[in-house]
Parts: sequence; C-alpha cells; structure tokens
Amino acid sequence: MTIFPEVARVTLRALVGRRRTVLMLLLAGVPILVGLLVRANSDGIAEVGPTLDGLVVRIILPLVALVFGTAALGSELEDGSAVHLLTKPISRTTIVLAKVAVAGTLTAALTVPSTIVTAILLAEPGADVVGITVSLGIGVFAGSYLYASIFAALSILTSRGLLLGLGYALIWEGLLAGLLPGTQVFSVREYVRGIVHLVSPSVIDSVVGNAAVPYAAIALVAALAIASYRLATYEVRGSD
Amino acid sequence: MTAPAGPPAAIVLERASRWYGNVVAVNDVSFSVGAGITSLLGPNGAGKTTILHMLAGLLRPSAGRVLLGGQPAWRNPAVYRFVGLVPEREAVYDFLTGREFVEMCAKLQRLPDPAAAAARAIATVDLEPAAGRAIGTYSKGMRQRVKIAGALVHDPTILLLDEPFNGMDPRQRLHMIELLRSMAAQGRAILFSSHILEEVERLAEQVLVINAGRLAAAGDYRQIRRLMTDRPHTFVVRSSDNRRLAAAFLAEPAVFGAELQDGRLNVRVAEFSGFTRIVARVARDAAVTLYEVAPTDDSLESVFAYLTSRR
Repeated sequence: MTIFPEVARVTLRALVGRRRTVLMLLLAGVPILVGLLVRANSDGIAEVGPTLDGLVVRIILPLVALVFGTAALGSELEDGSAVHLLTKPISRTTIVLAKVAVAGTLTAALTVPSTIVTAILLAEPGADVVGITVSLGIGVFAGSYLYASIFAALSILTSRGLLLGLGYALIWEGLLAGLLPGTQVFSVREYVRGIVHLVSPSVIDSVVGNAAVPYAAIALVAALAIASYRLATYEVRGSD
Repeated sequence: MTAPAGPPAAIVLERASRWYGNVVAVNDVSFSVGAGITSLLGPNGAGKTTILHMLAGLLRPSAGRVLLGGQPAWRNPAVYRFVGLVPEREAVYDFLTGREFVEMCAKLQRLPDPAAAAARAIATVDLEPAAGRAIGTYSKGMRQRVKIAGALVHDPTILLLDEPFNGMDPRQRLHMIELLRSMAAQGRAILFSSHILEEVERLAEQVLVINAGRLAAAGDYRQIRRLMTDRPHTFVVRSSDNRRLAAAFLAEPAVFGAELQDGRLNVRVAEFSGFTRIVARVARDAAVTLYEVAPTDDSLESVFAYLTSRR
C-alpha cells in the first residue's frame, strides 16, 4: 500500500504553497474576523449555531471545498498532466480516493479551526462552549469530505467543474435548499446541520434529523463511485 | 538496462476505428508490429495521436480491437506495467523537480528501489544536471526528456511516443535516436509518431503511413521511400528555349505531357527518378540551356495524398 500515500503526497504538493492556499486562508479567516467584531462590541450572542450555519456551512465551507475539490483532479485533467498518473498500473478508484482525501483534509484543516475559533468568540457567557464547538466542528469536518468528493466528481464529469460547482453551491445549497421544503433531503448543508444537531441538539435545529448520517453516507459513496467510474473511462483527446 | 521480461512486445490494431460524433478520426486501421522501431508517419491531423491514445488506453476504440502484448489497454491499467507512454502535450507536474517526478513514476510502478530506478532513467536521458530543478523551469527539450525518463523508468517492453522529437535540438535528437535504437535492440517494441520524414528516415525500420485516418502504406522504410519518390510528378522547367525543349521531352516515354505557361514549362512525368536521369541529356541533345528544374508537388501532404489514393 504505497500507492495511496504517493498520490496523496503529490496532490498535496500541487494544492498547497500557492496563491490558492493563501486565498483560502483569507476566506477561512472571514468568520473569525466577524467573531472578533462581534466580541469587540458585545458579550457574544445566543444564536451561535444558526449564525455559523449561515456563515460557514452555507458559504465558506462549500467555497473552500469547491476550490480544493476541483483543483485536486480537475485542473490536471484540464492541462493534460494527469496523463502521467493515468498511465500507471494503479486503480482509478485509488486515485480518486487519494485526491478526495487530500482535498477534504485541506478543506477541514481550514474550515474546522475557523469554525471553532469563531464559535468561541461568538459564544455568550454561560453558553455550552464545549457542546457548540464539538458539534459544529464534527459537522464541518464531515461536510468538508462530502463537499470535496462532490466537487471532485463534478470536475471529472465536466471541464466546467468550477463554474457548475459555484452555481450549485450558491444557488442550490445557498438559496433553494434553504427556502423550499422537501429539497433539504438533497442538501449537504442540511446533512451538516443534522449531524451538528445529532451531537448537540440545542446548538441548531434540523429538518432531516437523524437521517442526516445515512443521507450523507449515501451522498459520499455515490459521489466517489461516480468519480471512480468516470475516471476509469476517462478519454484523453489529442490534438488531431 | 536489462532485457525486458513479461508479455510479448507486440502492438496490434484489428480493424480499429474511432469517431467523435460524425467525425471519423481513425478509419478501419489494422496493423501489427513487434520488437524494433516503427514509425507512425503522417501529416498533422491524420489520426496519429488518436491511434496512440487508443493503444495507451486513453481512448475507447469505437470499433475493432486494440491490443498491447495481447491485452486491451482500455479500462485495464495492468498493461501499464509493461507499457510506457510519452504524450505529446508538454504538461508535467511543474511543482516537482525532475527527479521527484521520475521517482513518483517509479513508486507508482511499485518498483523495489524507486530512487535507483529514477537515477538510472535520468542518466539515460542525460538530464542529471537539471534533475534537482523544478520542472516548471525546464525548456521544451528538457520537458520532453523528463517525460521519456518517466515513461521508461520501469523498463517497459512497449514504448509509445507521440512526436518525441518536438522541441529537441540536434544533439538531443541524436542522443534520443541512439537511446531508442539501443532499447529496440534489446527486444522492445517502440512505436513513435512523427510528421517529419527526415526523423523517420534516420530511425524507423518499419513505417506506417497514416493519412486522413487511414493506413495509407505500411512496410519497410526503403520500400515506402520508393513509393514516395516513384510516383507521377510535375516539374517546372525554365530554359533558353521552352518550346523546343517541350517537343524534345514529348519524344521521351517517361514524359506524359508538357505545357507552356507564363514563360515556364510544366512537365508531367511518370516517376521522379526517371525524369531526373533524362532531363540533362534531353536538354543537351536539343541544344537548350536549362535555367531551373524544380519538382512542384513534393510537400509531404501531396505524398500522403498520393499513397492514400493508390489503395
């Protein structure tokens, strides 16, 4: 089992140490900045869960996952350098798993600390800080991998993965899935809310409730399966 | 490098076709090549890359079969254990150094000693001085060589190269020719594409001529060369007396026709070398001074078109 870590290591090298990472760091810093502002002018707020849901789960998390998820595989398929990886005696599923693992881990590494620090800053005196931070941390952690796998799959399905992913994140997750009843079953944001609710019910309410875990698991497996199949049958067109 | 083990060095296309929607890129092509150096020769857009990508498992054949060492490459990554591909596109992982890239290839091939194998491959392509630098800083020729090192790090029995000499200077070209020759001498099958006749001339024993998605000619290089030269040609001749020269040419059996046009004489002949042998004698006998004799349609495209139409 030396293949997975090798693919992961090279993917990590591709994704960090670039302008992209700096931008993502800034993005993950936005909630903390908001938290500092609130803290400077008050003793904190009561609705920490819903606030972080609106700020992190709805906007920051999908954006960070979108950038890492599509860059992990989509950008090298686009520029052609992926050919060197595809023409090796390794299963395409291994490639997908390693890529998603790295994209998800990077997303979590930025968004989970951001969520926890912001939650601590926002929490009013006497609040259940442990319950709030642990539940939100676990929810965002799970959401990082789920989003990363969906965006990675999207980047293999289409060369416009970044654009389509942005549309999906903003329009579906950001707007429609929150407004219309029934759509929540197909919303990563609702799964994250459900997981947070499961860990600490008082932090946030959830429409999907306990079903969030199986829904999220199905979505994750489906995204990975689609990505693996599409990569196994990926066609590289030449110049002629 | 040691002699290759494993599946036979055989590359086979059986009535293979590939189309994109309504566009046919490769049309019913069959060939079989074994150990040695074979060239896929044809103009740009002839379908060479499509054939190589089908062979390398990067494109699904629309019809027919494509086999490497007896196995299909499509959806079968196991073939890459004994196959190496050098793609035409330049993109490599720019953020890795040359050595890191070749070592990555060695590790993904599960070689027992990746560092040693990578060092060997880098030495083979003469890239040692630059191996510690990021690939992003490489010249075109260096990129080409690092790609080749990555493709042969596992000692493949079959090596596929798409336009391998692009961007190389003459010295590197010569080095690469020697390298490919020595690899072929060890019993490997090497198939490379090219649109430049001179490259093929110096390297390939066997030639497959591809034009407009079809196999136009196949065989020994000298045989193909003869087909290319001994075909109907048109020469443009300027002389001191075109009219008299035209009459003299028309008496020759090798000449089909001659016409005067804008102070030049266009001569249609049965074959290239036949005409070049008689032109000086005919002019001398007719007491005409030749100013210029030039073939008009010696572009590679016209050669390919002729070979295709012959079938």
